[in-house]
Amino acid sequence: MIATILGQTAFPEAMGSLTLGHYLFVSGVMFALGVIGFLTRRNLIIMFLCTEMMFQAAGIALIAFSRFYLHHTGQSFVIFVLTVAAAEAAMALALVVLLFRRRENLNAEEWAELSG
Amino acid sequence: MLETVGQGVLGGFTGLLASLASPQNGGATVGPWWVILIPLLPIVAVLMCTVCAIARVRSKLPAFLTVVCLGAAFGLSLLMYLQLSGGEHVTVAYRWIDFAWGEGPGQRFTADFGFYVDSLTCLWMLFVTGLATLIALYASEYMSHDLGLGYCRFFAAFNLFVFSMACLVMGSNLIMLYLGWEGVGLCSYLLIGYFYKKPSAVAAAKKAFIMNRIGDLGLALGVMLTFVHFGTVDYAELFASEKLQGYTAALKAGHIDQIPLVAQLIPVLLMIGAFGKSAQLPLYVWLPDAMEGPTPVSALIHAATMVTAGVYLIARTYPLFLCSQYALPIVAWVGVGTALLSATIAMAQFDIKRIMAYSTVSQLGFMFAGLAFLSSAGAAFHVFTHAFFKATLFLCCGAVMHGFAGQLDLRKLSGVAYMKGWGIVGIAMLIGCLNLAGFPFSAGFFSKDMILAEAFVTPGPGYTFLGWVLLLTAGLTAYYTFRVFFRVFIGPKYYEPGDELHAHDDHGHDHAGDHAHSRTSHDTHEPGSGHEFHPHPPGIAINLVLAILAGLSVVAAGAYFIGDHGGWVARLVHESSADTVHVHDANTAAFLAGRGGHASEHAAHGTFLGQDPHKIMYYVSAAIGFVGIAVAFVLHYLGRTTAATSRADKLLPTLGPIATLAQRKWLVDEFYDFLIRKPLWVLSHIFHLIDRLLVDGLVNALGFLPRMCGQSVRRTQSGVLHDYAVWMAGGVAAIAVFIWIITL
Amino acid sequence: MLPAPGSARPTVGRVAQPVPPGRRVPELKAGTPCPTLMTPLELVCTYSGVGVASRHGVLPLAHVIDPFILYLGVVLGGFGVLLALPRRKVSPQLIGALLAAAGLGVVLVGLGLKAAKSGQLPNLYFYVFAAIALGASLRVITHPRPVYAALYFILTILASAGMYLILSAEFMAFALIIIYAGAILITYLFVIMLATQAPTEAEEEDKGAPYDLASREPGIAAVAGFVLLAALTTMFARGIPSLPTGEEIALKSRDPDAILAQLPRRVERALRREGLITDRERIARTFSGPPEIDMKRRIAVVAEPNPVRQSDFDEFIDATRREVPLPEGLRGRNVENLAFDFLNRHPGSIEIAGVVLLMAMLGAVVLSRRQVELDEEAKAQQSRLLSTEEQS
Repeated sequence: MIATILGQTAFPEAMGSLTLGHYLFVSGVMFALGVIGFLTRRNLIIMFLCTEMMFQAAGIALIAFSRFYLHHTGQSFVIFVLTVAAAEAAMALALVVLLFRRRENLNAEEWAELSG
Repeated sequence: MLETVGQGVLGGFTGLLASLASPQNGGATVGPWWVILIPLLPIVAVLMCTVCAIARVRSKLPAFLTVVCLGAAFGLSLLMYLQLSGGEHVTVAYRWIDFAWGEGPGQRFTADFGFYVDSLTCLWMLFVTGLATLIALYASEYMSHDLGLGYCRFFAAFNLFVFSMACLVMGSNLIMLYLGWEGVGLCSYLLIGYFYKKPSAVAAAKKAFIMNRIGDLGLALGVMLTFVHFGTVDYAELFASEKLQGYTAALKAGHIDQIPLVAQLIPVLLMIGAFGKSAQLPLYVWLPDAMEGPTPVSALIHAATMVTAGVYLIARTYPLFLCSQYALPIVAWVGVGTALLSATIAMAQFDIKRIMAYSTVSQLGFMFAGLAFLSSAGAAFHVFTHAFFKATLFLCCGAVMHGFAGQLDLRKLSGVAYMKGWGIVGIAMLIGCLNLAGFPFSAGFFSKDMILAEAFVTPGPGYTFLGWVLLLTAGLTAYYTFRVFFRVFIGPKYYEPGDELHAHDDHGHDHAGDHAHSRTSHDTHEPGSGHEFHPHPPGIAINLVLAILAGLSVVAAGAYFIGDHGGWVARLVHESSADTVHVHDANTAAFLAGRGGHASEHAAHGTFLGQDPHKIMYYVSAAIGFVGIAVAFVLHYLGRTTAATSRADKLLPTLGPIATLAQRKWLVDEFYDFLIRKPLWVLSHIFHLIDRLLVDGLVNALGFLPRMCGQSVRRTQSGVLHDYAVWMAGGVAAIAVFIWIITL
Repeated sequence: MLPAPGSARPTVGRVAQPVPPGRRVPELKAGTPCPTLMTPLELVCTYSGVGVASRHGVLPLAHVIDPFILYLGVVLGGFGVLLALPRRKVSPQLIGALLAAAGLGVVLVGLGLKAAKSGQLPNLYFYVFAAIALGASLRVITHPRPVYAALYFILTILASAGMYLILSAEFMAFALIIIYAGAILITYLFVIMLATQAPTEAEEEDKGAPYDLASREPGIAAVAGFVLLAALTTMFARGIPSLPTGEEIALKSRDPDAILAQLPRRVERALRREGLITDRERIARTFSGPPEIDMKRRIAVVAEPNPVRQSDFDEFIDATRREVPLPEGLRGRNVENLAFDFLNRHPGSIEIAGVVLLMAMLGAVVLSRRQVELDEEAKAQQSRLLSTEEQS
């Protein structure tokens, strides 16, 4: 299957808008799962994983639209999404390590100094 | 030498300034530049005393500088008298205030830092600078227990006072007068509160300042009203203004009702200022308390010079006062009432300095009465003589206080004049007392007579009655004056030291600490225990000053015989704006009494016991003075064997509560306390409650609402990341749902 | 509120264009109302792209999926996720996963029913990858141990990469695998190892940290997430009918082969492989101009370069030229198109991305730097250790 895909030329033919709907639905579900995961999990690392999942959902939508419009800018955007995800991962994980050193704990609920 | 140097340095400068100054009108000529040096020298002395304070000088250098500067100022005043007396001269240092808000008349306000010199100015400056020099010399010894910062502070304030007084007296306009007026008030405050660690001194200083504020408000309003009505505050312009000339003409023509009410109200306002500064009836209570200050201060400021500023103000603005049919009668009644009231209080006091203070108030009342009786010359002459003899009396009291460790109670001192080294003090005291009592041929006798006689000469509302009251007061004055003399200075020798230990300087104790401190750490002394306490008689400076002053008090009487018609002082006064001759000439004096224009020359000139008051008053007042002295002699000298008691004590029960009331100053302080302080206290508490309950309540209610809102919302701020994320996701979902619904 | 179709309001837009034959959903084309007469509500509808179709009185959602099926699936899925989330006591994770899968299946069937009518069913692999990706995602958010969550996320990434491949984004698919699965997730795994407490008691070892064992407020989260999902899906579905058709896109989009005009060496190699040009012939180019490749006519102008002239720009001046048709199999590739899009059209963005990455790197270094504080004893021990090492 991969061989057939690789062999084909760029954007063989236009994609139907209802096909696009399938991909958008999958993207939406993945985004919703990411939101739910972010809201329910206490582990800082998993929360950041969930944000990566939301990035991923956005990426799928972008690629699907790129295919739908037969335009490559959508894919270029995904490259930037990847860039931001990488930067965010670097910073966030550094922060996580820092926080873990402070409390020996990854529970996000432990950090409630901003409470009113 | 000073003059030549000043000529070189300042000549061109002041010449330039004089050429820049606005052209003077009203017949006044441009005065010489060196007049400026008279107020300048005290200011230089202030600066030098400040430098001494910074340099921590612990010698008598500040006193020396002060005496030199003030002596120079006195010399210049003498020069000013010799050269300028008789005309009106204006010397402008620089244009001080100048702003305009329109082109029309009365829309430009100008005030020069300038000096108006005429005979009245010369008279005042002569005794102000002369007395200041002598008293500075006296104070150089008197204040010697306080060498160091306190000494510098004393002389700095002392010099500042002389500067302010010079501004007050020599100022060329009412603004300068106001500057000096406030300046002397400030210096009075500073010097009364000199012993600032003594609560009573601080309280007295505050009392003096606040009482003076009430009067100063009147003065300020008067100055403002003067500007509003006459369009100028400059003396020369004011006296030459068409309005004032018109009023004077109307007065001479007997049409006092043509003078507008505003012009008649100006002197009433100025008068209130004079009452405050000169301690007249409603506002006199600060002066007796002001005796908390050092005695030289009491002598100079609170007896001789500053308190006569009110007299000066009225004399200076006499043309305005003559235009009012209300001001002078009020001045008369207030002055006589003050004289009688304070004389009765003085009779019942035991603190000799306080007696002198009340006698000052009483004599000021005499001066005001003199002004009101159209005898500005008499008032000025009384100011002049009073300045010398009252300074003498105060300095004698001060010498006693200095020598007996602050002892001022006449029940604890006796026969001081007989003690070794106290002879000059005793003689000076006797001369002062004779003057005050109006003993024949003393200076006080002549000046008081001029006022008393005018009371019967001048027509006015109840003036004859006031004249009788003044005669009675003169008798009381003689009594209480010699009560002091007979009890303290002659009689059996006895003393108890006071509670101030600076008298121990001679015994080698360390008294570098401040005065108030030494007061609190005193030992108890057995009465008359000579082995611990020796009264130390006055030194050379005090004796010298006392001798000079006593001599001057005697010599002052001679001024009455220089020239005719009231003597030297009267001539000076009649050459100035305070002249009353033209009023005497016309029948307008009757207007001032409010009797209408038909009064004849005869009606204007009253009689006393069918005789000419001017002639008979010599005998009457002399007799009354003798009676007073005799009563004091009988009650306080004859048969007195101890210091504490006399025959007068036996008479006290017959007087009943009157004696007690007089001793308690007729409860005036308590009355003021009840009338003003208590209501204010209650009112302030009420306002405090209103502020606390109503205003704070409103503010707190305003603050309560947001706080409650915040309280309810702050629970959402849990600080937990998830909660914020839930709000965010919920918000996004809500927005999505909203769009979903509106697009259905 | 909204005017009925055929109302007097003038409409402009795509409706006026000639409709090409074979158009699939022409009846759903929306007209853009005259902007001057729009109410605020219509403004929002028009420019948010969600309400345009609804002015025709048709619920556009129904053209993409039966709303009942959609909401049934969403509710099922939401309930399933709610059950699947970890709980401290009884955790019916398996039932939840099945319910969620059923919800997903219901919606996909609903979508597929409509798509099948117009022949727009997606590739079969789409279903495979979607199932793997979403299942792995569910496992990421439900697995109590971070390591497994990270590994499942790698699975999600791989499945997403598969979907990228179906969508003709093969470069992005492999870039995703390399960057995400290969770099970012490995970093995550390292951090998980660095930042995990040593288990204190034996029975806790298997279960993981206590805060990982139970989810926090799963009800609220599931409701929020799936309401969001329902709204999002509805928006998507409503917007889909207003999208252009494939023909319209094909008309407007650039020919992916046009990129070949800028790739003369590749064209030369292909022509030489086909035997259409000699070894010495090359694609001619005008003086300082582009290579003479006409992609509309699919021909290339070739010539033998003048050996005397050495410069790239004047070597073809005197040469005899001839036109060569391009072979049929020579097509522009995705990667080439992407590269030109990326580098030609977004150069500034690349710079910014570089700065972002640099800053992130510096930030990470600064943040994770550890200040080592040794007390005196430790210092002495350290110095002893060093001295013994030097001696030996």
